[in-house]
Amino acid sequence: MATEDDILDSPVPAPDAEATPSERAHAKTFADIIDKTIAGKTPPAMSADDRALVEVATVIRAANGQMELAAGKQRSIVEDALRQAIGGAAATSTLGGPTPIGKARAKRWVPWAISAVSTMVAAAAVLVLWLRAPKHETVTVDRPVAQMPASWTSRPADPLIGPIAREQAGAASSRIDYIFADRLDGFRERRLSPRGGTP
Amino acid sequence: MKSLWTSALVVLVVSTITVFGCGTSEREATPPSATRTAEPTDVIDEELMVALGQAKNFHRKAKVYMSDGNLAAATASVRQILSLRFPKGAPEADDVRLDARALLAKLLVSQGQVDEAMRTVEEGLASSQRESFFVANLYTVQGEIHEARAAQADSEGETGKARAAEERRAAIASYDRSIQINEKLQKQLMEQR
Repeated sequence: MATEDDILDSPVPAPDAEATPSERAHAKTFADIIDKTIAGKTPPAMSADDRALVEVATVIRAANGQMELAAGKQRSIVEDALRQAIGGAAATSTLGGPTPIGKARAKRWVPWAISAVSTMVAAAAVLVLWLRAPKHETVTVDRPVAQMPASWTSRPADPLIGPIAREQAGAASSRIDYIFADRLDGFRERRLSPRGGTP
Repeated sequence: MKSLWTSALVVLVVSTITVFGCGTSEREATPPSATRTAEPTDVIDEELMVALGQAKNFHRKAKVYMSDGNLAAATASVRQILSLRFPKGAPEADDVRLDARALLAKLLVSQGQVDEAMRTVEEGLASSQRESFFVANLYTVQGEIHEARAAQADSEGETGKARAAEERRAAIASYDRSIQINEKLQKQLMEQR
């Protein structure tokens, strides 16, 4: 159930409407909280709505650049920077001083240097590979096929059959018997050879 | 700045991979040449023996049909030889098929299918890869077919005389071609011996 204090839950007033006493009291309380927060004395306890508003106010203030370092810290950082500018060493600080100018410059070009060197190495490797790529030459080692017995090879049947007489023109059955028997001999000879068919 | 470092890291990684990749490729390509052995592909193998065996069986079958007077079945059996699968480039394939065509043509002539017989012979002559005794035999059969045609033309009387003479001339040309091939091949064989 909404109460009068629940300003986030209450209906939104008209733009020109007069603030109610309750609203005024709430605004004053919140203003006190903001003042204490800016002074670094944030109240330990506050409502969830107020805490949310305080966080928003802090963000807005930081965004406007109104947050300033303490005078001591400001002085320390400026002195360190000046000391480095004239060649002196930075004072040791638990907060960490500003990054030396030379170091900052170095940090800026180191990645570029790494990239450049890596790229050059890769390009060189590709170039070397391209230049030194061996030429694939297929060397055909001819086995002594000529030494293979003719009876082991597939070949025309002319020497076996010879000229075919006219009266034998249709005697294909006899001729296939000759051819088959001859090739079977060669096949067996090759298969049963101690060299396993290798000449 | 952070993205710059990330980019540098990426370039470094890519470069490393490239360098290692190059190294690996170089190792793989170290042998300067690939050596392969020239295998004799023309040996008598199982495939050739199977094809020859099948041709032998079809001829045997056709012979049995012929002895039984069943010329149609014998013709069908011989036709099957033409569709047998031989090893690619085997010279025996050409010889066996041409011989089967010679027998097939004679079977067709004996059944009165002279034109079909001539077509069978002409297809065989057109498909032959080289001159052989089997080609010469096919020319002989072609001559016989021309003679059969001449006999048919003669039976038609006066009207077929001119055609019969033409067929006889063609028959002589076929026989001459057969003799020419036979002589040439015999001469070659004699020289080889």
